[in-house]
Amino acid sequence: MSITKLAFNMLIFPGGLFAVVISLLLMGIDRKIYARLQRRVGPPIYQPFIDVIKLLQKEILVPRSANFIVFRLAPLLGFIGMLVAVVIIPISGVYPGIDKSADLLVLLYLLSTPALAIMIGASASGSPYSAIGLSREMMVTIAYEIPLLIVLLTIAMKTGMAGGNFADFSLNHIVSFQQQNGSLIFNITMLPALLAYLCCIPGTIGVVPFDMPEAETEIAEGPTLEYSGSGLAMLNLTGGLKVVVISALAVALFFPSTLGGFWLVNLLWFILKCIILVTLSITVVRATRARMRMDQAFKFYLIVPTGLALVSLVLTLLSGKF
Amino acid sequence: MSNFIQNIGKKSPWLYRINAGSCNGCDVELATTALIPRYDVERLGCKYCGSPNHADIVLITGPVTAGVKEKVMRVYDEIPDPKVVVAVGICPISGGLFRDSYAIESTLDAFIPVDVNVPGCPPRPQAIIDGVAKAIEIWKERL
Repeated sequence: MSITKLAFNMLIFPGGLFAVVISLLLMGIDRKIYARLQRRVGPPIYQPFIDVIKLLQKEILVPRSANFIVFRLAPLLGFIGMLVAVVIIPISGVYPGIDKSADLLVLLYLLSTPALAIMIGASASGSPYSAIGLSREMMVTIAYEIPLLIVLLTIAMKTGMAGGNFADFSLNHIVSFQQQNGSLIFNITMLPALLAYLCCIPGTIGVVPFDMPEAETEIAEGPTLEYSGSGLAMLNLTGGLKVVVISALAVALFFPSTLGGFWLVNLLWFILKCIILVTLSITVVRATRARMRMDQAFKFYLIVPTGLALVSLVLTLLSGKF
Repeated sequence: MSNFIQNIGKKSPWLYRINAGSCNGCDVELATTALIPRYDVERLGCKYCGSPNHADIVLITGPVTAGVKEKVMRVYDEIPDPKVVVAVGICPISGGLFRDSYAIESTLDAFIPVDVNVPGCPPRPQAIIDGVAKAIEIWKERL
């Protein structure tokens, strides 16, 4: 890949500008549908753009007991990690992704950088509320990473067995396997894996019922407590980018079908699929559930999504060539 | 350009509540009847935030008792500029029901520059929303 093409991919499409605009739109649509589900009008769809613009006008306050450099630079870590992650995921029919052999593993590492950034920033804040939010964030991350890993392994194994290897971690091969053999969402052995992935999404994003790291009524916003102004804007943007990465990954792993050959139609079809995924897994769950306790969430993640993912894993192993 | 930023930024005011020794009547109004999904102030972009570092408009209830005065000043300093102060209820304005008490030092605007007063004990939800709307207009000028 030439350097201009790489720069275009990282800064304009699909990383950078395109990812930020789509993430703010998805957050706005989520808030609007959440309001409609509560029988009220709700903010306009472009409200997150206004939030970011407003936050950039505010003064930046740094607590005296904070580590100044780490405090200011921690939000950048998650933001950059998510920007790189968006470049890696292929959009079928529009953008081929980075055609390397193990990019699903790299994506798995990059998916944990926003949580890491929040943890580092919270511990650099020097506030007890941030410390409590930080320990909760660590526990939730450990809880949802287990079923996520098993789901990714199952899909890699399904792709790999068709090609003769054990597991194939290349996202391009996963997408082309589905374009030949039908999307994995229509495969009955993969349905438990899809449900497990949908259960992991609220934990990853940090919405109700798994938002105890940032419980506003209990620990005063938790890890983001001491952030104001542009640091807070960057943390919000990182959360939004994580929504885009998670839903784009779900689209690439489970239903990357295209609607013909024209790239604009495929792009709009991709955005529509992301909107439907966000509505089903984030907004409806957020509107109908209450916040769970830490031990309830841990028990849930270790039993239900892990069990579903293991069912899919066993079925994939049995139906393979072993 | 600054006019554009003022017109855009005023559509996203974030609210923070400070209880300065209040009897909780006005706090119950703020939490359960005034700025709740029923009257849908989220159309204006308002939402409650849990941390003073994220806030734009401060809603202060209660007469400033001697025990809580230092803490209210400390939390007020944590709110980044530009900010607007709204005194909710009659207690921050004049001491209200408790104005002859030994625990009250003075009214709120002896310590903090108050921008909007919403009298009432407790004020009606519509009065509180009107006060917040006036505060948004004042905040727009300071952006």
